Amino acid sequence: MKRRIIYNLYFIGFMLFGSALNAQTVTGIVTDNNGPIPGVNVIIKGTSSGTATDFDGNYTLDNVATNSVLVFSMIGYSTQEVNFNGQSQINITLLEDMQALDEVVLVGYSSRKKSTLTGAVSVVDMGDLEKTRVVNVTQALQGQIAGVQVTSSTGAPGDPIEVRIRGLGTIGDNNPLYVVDGIPTRDINFLNQADIKSMTVLKDASAAAIYGSRASGGVVLITTKSGNEGKISFDVNYFTGLHYASNLPNMLNAEQYMNTVEKAWNNSDRTGTNPYTADKGRADFSNTDWLDELFETGKSQNLQFTASGGSDKVQFLMSLGYYGQDGIVIFDNDKYKRLSYRTNLNVDLTDRLKIGTNLQLTYATQDKLSSKGDAPGIIRHALLRPPVIGVYKDVNDPTYSQRDPFTDLPFYVNNDRDNGGWESDKYEWSQNPIALAYFTDDVRKDFRTFGNIYAEYSFLKDKELTFRTNVGVDLSFIHNKTFNENFGDDDGGGNATDQGLGRQNRPNNLSEERGEARTITFNNTLNYVKTFSDKHDISALIGMEYIDNYSSSIGASRARFDNTDSTFRYIDYGATEADLWNGGSASEWALFSYFGSASYVFDSKYMVTANMRADASSRFSEKNRWGYFPSISAGWKISDEAFLKDVKWLSNLKLRAGWGKLGNQEIDNYAFLTLISQTDGKVVVNRYGNEDLKWESSESTNIGFDAGFLNNKLTFSAEYYVKNTSDILLPIGLPSIVGDVSPTIVNAGEVSNKGFEFSLNYRESSKEFQYSINANLGTVVNNVEKLHPNVPNLVGEVTRTQVGQPLNAYYGYKMIGIYQNQTEIDSHLSGTLNPSVKPGDIKFEDINNDGIINSDDRKFLGSSIPDLTYGISFSSSYKNFDFSFLFQGVEGVDRYNDSKKILDYDTRPFNYTTNILGAWDGEGTSNTIPRVAFEDNGSSKVSSIFVEDASYLRLKNVELGYTINGITGVQNIRLYVSGQNLFTATKYTGMDPESTDLMDRGTYPSSSSVLFGLNVKF
Amino acid sequence: MKNIYNSLIAICIVTIFVSCNDELTKEPIGLLTLDQIDTTPTITTLESSVSSSYQLLASTLNLIGEWNWDGGAVLRNDFILQDIAANDMNKKWNPDGDQAWMDELSAFSFTPDNGAFNGIWLYDYEGINRINLAISYLTNPEVTQEVGIADARKNQLLGEAYFLRAFYYFDLVNNFGDVPLLTVPLKSFEEAFDVAVRVPSTEIWIQINSDLTEAKTLLPNVKYPDPSEPWRASKGAVIALQAKAALFNEDWTSVISLVNELDALGFYSLNANYFDSFDVTKEFVDNEVIFAYDHVSDQNPRKGNGLCALIGWGFIAPNEDFINAFEPNDPRLLYTVDVANQNVSKLLGNTVGDYKGNDDAPSNKIYIRYADVLLWKAEALNETGDYPGAIAIINQVRTRARTTPTADGSMVPIGTLADRPSSTDSAQIKGWLMSERRVELGFESQRFNDLKRWGTAKSVLTGLGKNFQDKNYLYPIPQGEVDKSGGTITQNPDY
Repeated sequence: MKRRIIYNLYFIGFMLFGSALNAQTVTGIVTDNNGPIPGVNVIIKGTSSGTATDFDGNYTLDNVATNSVLVFSMIGYSTQEVNFNGQSQINITLLEDMQALDEVVLVGYSSRKKSTLTGAVSVVDMGDLEKTRVVNVTQALQGQIAGVQVTSSTGAPGDPIEVRIRGLGTIGDNNPLYVVDGIPTRDINFLNQADIKSMTVLKDASAAAIYGSRASGGVVLITTKSGNEGKISFDVNYFTGLHYASNLPNMLNAEQYMNTVEKAWNNSDRTGTNPYTADKGRADFSNTDWLDELFETGKSQNLQFTASGGSDKVQFLMSLGYYGQDGIVIFDNDKYKRLSYRTNLNVDLTDRLKIGTNLQLTYATQDKLSSKGDAPGIIRHALLRPPVIGVYKDVNDPTYSQRDPFTDLPFYVNNDRDNGGWESDKYEWSQNPIALAYFTDDVRKDFRTFGNIYAEYSFLKDKELTFRTNVGVDLSFIHNKTFNENFGDDDGGGNATDQGLGRQNRPNNLSEERGEARTITFNNTLNYVKTFSDKHDISALIGMEYIDNYSSSIGASRARFDNTDSTFRYIDYGATEADLWNGGSASEWALFSYFGSASYVFDSKYMVTANMRADASSRFSEKNRWGYFPSISAGWKISDEAFLKDVKWLSNLKLRAGWGKLGNQEIDNYAFLTLISQTDGKVVVNRYGNEDLKWESSESTNIGFDAGFLNNKLTFSAEYYVKNTSDILLPIGLPSIVGDVSPTIVNAGEVSNKGFEFSLNYRESSKEFQYSINANLGTVVNNVEKLHPNVPNLVGEVTRTQVGQPLNAYYGYKMIGIYQNQTEIDSHLSGTLNPSVKPGDIKFEDINNDGIINSDDRKFLGSSIPDLTYGISFSSSYKNFDFSFLFQGVEGVDRYNDSKKILDYDTRPFNYTTNILGAWDGEGTSNTIPRVAFEDNGSSKVSSIFVEDASYLRLKNVELGYTINGITGVQNIRLYVSGQNLFTATKYTGMDPESTDLMDRGTYPSSSSVLFGLNVKF
Repeated sequence: MKNIYNSLIAICIVTIFVSCNDELTKEPIGLLTLDQIDTTPTITTLESSVSSSYQLLASTLNLIGEWNWDGGAVLRNDFILQDIAANDMNKKWNPDGDQAWMDELSAFSFTPDNGAFNGIWLYDYEGINRINLAISYLTNPEVTQEVGIADARKNQLLGEAYFLRAFYYFDLVNNFGDVPLLTVPLKSFEEAFDVAVRVPSTEIWIQINSDLTEAKTLLPNVKYPDPSEPWRASKGAVIALQAKAALFNEDWTSVISLVNELDALGFYSLNANYFDSFDVTKEFVDNEVIFAYDHVSDQNPRKGNGLCALIGWGFIAPNEDFINAFEPNDPRLLYTVDVANQNVSKLLGNTVGDYKGNDDAPSNKIYIRYADVLLWKAEALNETGDYPGAIAIINQVRTRARTTPTADGSMVPIGTLADRPSSTDSAQIKGWLMSERRVELGFESQRFNDLKRWGTAKSVLTGLGKNFQDKNYLYPIPQGEVDKSGGTITQNPDY
């Protein structure tokens, strides 16, 4: 053995020596029918040395040994090999390879050629995505694929992204399943976009049925990059960006505000003298633009380093990424940082045995603010705080302190009501958003390990049969830490010991929580692929999968920290006599499955695929544990038929149709059991279980066609789908007569989604000016077909889910105008049951014409599900310049603008938007905006006045780049400038039409940004 | 070689068909199944099932509501349904648009969606469900034998449970009239819909009376069945509630005999000082309080009084009409509410403004006290023609009031709250009784029920400019409840 190694070393040494002796330089130009091709890989076969052609198709390769073989390769062209016999110049003409363009697409546990796909499968063009500067990989899907809607829940750095594939199928969980390198997960926040090689979206059941039980929200398959045989390449990408708030509402200034509240007081039943008239022009008033004070320019930085390469036996990729963003709210308490590390390795141990691993470590930190109008609601308070209050207290104010210089209660002096007191009655309690931003210390950390290790062995003569075993691990360690420092003015209350500390967070307190979640996935597949007689392509797959999840958490809190410095913000340093808390719990679930898939293609023209999956879930009782999810689909490539063969302009035409059934098990664990909690001296029923609980299933039918024209320069796809979800896992709130219990989950209800999807792609790559245009559009009609007999509707705060309507449709009173005078009121309202109404109040439609406005007069007011989602992207290059943009939008969607309620129509003296300047102020002045008043003008009702059209068109991304070639030792350098969200067209008056909340209470707006970047490839 | 291949393939296929069925059965973490309680009960389960049934009487914040203000569930809201509705109490010292649903109640412009109804309904029924669970354990011989609970303790706990169930139904029937009747725990969630029907109020009253009769036999003849936990419901509380039930059904002779029965126990009398019933330092050492919820600060889970926090936020203020109802120099006014300092002393449990703004205050919530009971008897005596007896009780209450030093320590001037003269005018005596109840029991969540009982709610409240309609003698069933039952729970007329 030893001897053998020495011999090998000797042999290698000889080879190296030998090559050095006979080496010489080769140059040449690589062209195709249209001219030179840049970026063609030229390598010396069997080595890692090589180069790529420059912009004019030229290459130079040093140290080429005689009798070696040069390999010229490029995606879309047939690879050519040329023997080197000492020529100084080798010019090559590459041929476009239609077969090579037929990329291999991952369809779940196995791959298929794109041309043989029969289901609704969309592949995301990663080339385009490289120019989308996103933090979360799911954002890269935005506007790219017909029928896939991607929205940020808020604009705060690190907040979650919502992905909806083909509408909302169920009342419960509609999130897609992500499968990263064969390991399923529900959250891919940890991924770094630069590591992604391809994304495939399985939209319909015929494609996704192989993931059966968890695929009803669609499946996104993600493959991470791996190294290629050949020269080691290094890729460094850096960008830095500036972010700023845009689309902000216009608020009243101090003078306008005083005039408005003065009027509101006069319009209300108040006696005495108007306090606001007297207050006008007070010396201690400010004129604060709270939005301007709150928002600043945010900054972001991204640094990405990737090294990849390998030999014919071992390929590797290593990457390190850092992303950091300080959001647009003042101070540093809305930061997001992510450090990610990845290593991917593939090793061919023998001709037949291959092993590999993909491993990602990610450490993410989010400094969290209340970004959604949730308490305390920084954005909400910036909107509603009166402009007459300053940001900071006067230093001579006796309540001023260096630690807390911020104003709090309006014009608060000494907590002394009799001597000026605080004027909350006049200027309302609100919080100082700047103080909130300053004092918030809420940090969420997530350390995530995600990866897999696999082995693959090929059997039989032509390796037709492959066994693959794959173990995946998804570990997440979470640490949340919130220190609530007390601040603000003292309102005199609280425990005697805590008096004088300020009203916010009194007493100060710290809470910490640590959690771990682990999911182990183990799957084994046996895959058979064989072509018989050149015409019969057969592939078959069987497999099993076991997924086991366990998560637990532990937390504690203490209050009354003597020292609040950051070095003391640990549990030990809080007081021990009162207000201590600790807690912890755990949960677990498991899923076990068998699956199989078979497909048959005849003569590349007729194709049929069938899938079957059987899943057993711990979330159902033993009798209903198993669910079965079959699918079948077929395709016909008409363009290959004799009668179309000669039609030159038609390069491809394929018809597809499929049917399948998918499942959903995303409910709480143990929902089939009646469970009683016994804690804190309390014995109460937690939830009444449903022993008959079973899988939710959705059946979908899809028909579509793919067409290619002019040598596939122009491609077009269209789909029509019907997706019916039944046995929906519906939590039904039992009548409260059974007490305060969690809703019981029943299989009830049906929801249908129908829609068309179109995508169009045009690519011109043969000219000096190369460009491609991609447009896609998806429609969806969502309808609730059936609900539980005892639950005729599901009632939300402002929504109602009812048969014949889309899910979560807005429901309330319909505004039909403003009462202009008493006569109008008297003729409209005749019943004595009406509360007092005055001219200037909102006039609601009296649907049953009984002269009374009551709950019988409510109706459906709009849909929260967009009718239409679309995207248009363009990318181009000319000489060394490249330019691209992406527009994305939705149409036919409504949102309940609750922040408008508290701003423009509230009965408290909060600030208003400038819209209120057009409020009703006497007969004929307005028929849309009710009078300002400190009493109800009709706005306390859930009504159409708050339901707004939230359609928008947004320029998500625009990027201009310049590539520098010809620097020795560097493949190329690309400089770019990129803009995000630079332009939005919308009629929506809230902060951000893109926010996904059913009720918009004032969300952290998505920011516009400008990025400058540099990309160097070695 | 071929054999190795074949066996490799076989191994791979076997790997694929391994089964993991056992791994799919996951025991619930931190929760008990019904079976587990029936098969392995513990004494703590039994004890806790009863003691946790008291919780819904607390004014502790967020026992169930989690800041659900609009749903009326942040704390038990008798003060809204009784004192604010009766317009003794204003929502806040300074009117504003905050919590507009409370204003709607005061104005009688509410709809069935108003959170106040949802809140009380939820609290009462949550209490009833906890009790039904408790009663099912305590009446199951297998469970009680298994844990080996002493008979005396079992009877005491069971007695408390029957009392509490009667207490919650009493509240429901007065607020809503016909209501669903649940007396056993649900066996399955489907049963929730079977029981979601309103039962005539007469049947609810029958249930209340039978529960109270049961409780009376079970509870021992002592003031505090468990002196270490004086907050537990006692025989005295049971008899008092029986008397109150009789009063609300105008069964005057029973009211008289039940109050006499209570007197015979010898546990209760009027405190010398009017404020002692509310004074946080005199809890469970006074003579007058018959049933109260025991609030305690700094407990985990919380047991404090959260109403004091609302008082600190400017909530709970006296209506001008209420203040004017007090006769000159009546010391009870300042003990009820200190207008100058905006202190609602009676609810804070002290006269100096302590605990104002404290969401975890120790001041108890008083549900039944002897002065209230005495006035029921006075009312019954008047109705049955014993006018001197009725006047004597009214004067007993007035005497105690005028002999109580005022909150600032001085004695009231001579002539304050003079005795009512003798009279044989039943209507006049009833008038005296009505005014006495209003000032004696102000802010104790009795007023709206009284107005309804007397049939004077409409005249009194429309007199105050409120939009009170005949339908308002019953509150509407919470709209959500009608909706969630799919309409089997019907709405009260005219809502």
